[in-house]
Amino acid sequence: MSRGARWSVLAVGAAFGFLLTVSGLGDYDTIHDGLLLENPYIFGMMASAMAVAFAGLAVLRRLGRTRFAGPLALPHARIERRHVYGGAVFGVGFGVGATCPGMTVVMTTTGGLYGLVVLVGLLGGLWLRGRVERRQRQPLSIEPLVPVVRDLARE
Amino acid sequence: MRPSSKGFAVLGWIDGQLPWWITGPGVGLCVVALYGLVNARLGVSGAWLATIAPMEGWRPEPWRKTFLLALVGGSIVAALLGPPVVVHGYGRLSELLPPVALIPVLLLVGGALGYGARWAGGCTSGHGMSGCAAGSPDSLVMTATFFTVAVVVTLALNAVTGGAL
Repeated sequence: MSRGARWSVLAVGAAFGFLLTVSGLGDYDTIHDGLLLENPYIFGMMASAMAVAFAGLAVLRRLGRTRFAGPLALPHARIERRHVYGGAVFGVGFGVGATCPGMTVVMTTTGGLYGLVVLVGLLGGLWLRGRVERRQRQPLSIEPLVPVVRDLARE
Repeated sequence: MRPSSKGFAVLGWIDGQLPWWITGPGVGLCVVALYGLVNARLGVSGAWLATIAPMEGWRPEPWRKTFLLALVGGSIVAALLGPPVVVHGYGRLSELLPPVALIPVLLLVGGALGYGARWAGGCTSGHGMSGCAAGSPDSLVMTATFFTVAVVVTLALNAVTGGAL
């Protein structure tokens, strides 16, 4: 990875972690109330994130290239059963725990130490899925499955 | 782990929760920036997956671990700038369940998140934000599925517990 690319990833990752934390969604009750359709915060946040990203990507598409990794290649993958099945399993975890892989980090750093328990489960779940795929002699799922990051990986 | 009155605030600059119209567009810009700078789809489950890659004998893209470290660092900075950090429980779920029941439940919650994210090829960030913003059909379907299931599960829990959850 080139120096510029490394610093870019560091900056974006830090900003992302910062914003997730100040959103207060590391707190069970906020996401839970959202899923009870009683608090619009999570929907406002998701929708505005998507809208801004959609608009930003329209600009990027016009440029057609990235700063450190060659021509722009956005993901575009067809729908398969695993997206529905995996999404449903993920949704059960999301519903019961009112958290997700990013929010677990935020929960822990803001003092919700049960977040570490969720994290252990998360790593276990990722591993278990890999084990099942290996038993079924499938190629291991290594996201994203589209060739978005090949250029970067080659550096 | 009950809420205690004592806290740990280094700076306390950020008071409570910032409004969604700041955090939402902010994370949207993060998604755009990662695509535009390094051609990568921002995703947290992929970053966690990279940490178990050595166990499975494959090499993750080098940016994944950098991203995870930065994510944790950014979150710690925000926690220090924010309201006092108090060791606390798990909201209404820890009021309802004693730790001996809560811990297995949370292990299963994490397990479902990890298993489902890998099966589907992404989570709330990878599919939900980055993939949907790019208009990728798989991401749109995955996101609609998990949000619908999560709402149904939550409403069911609320009904079963007589409104306690």
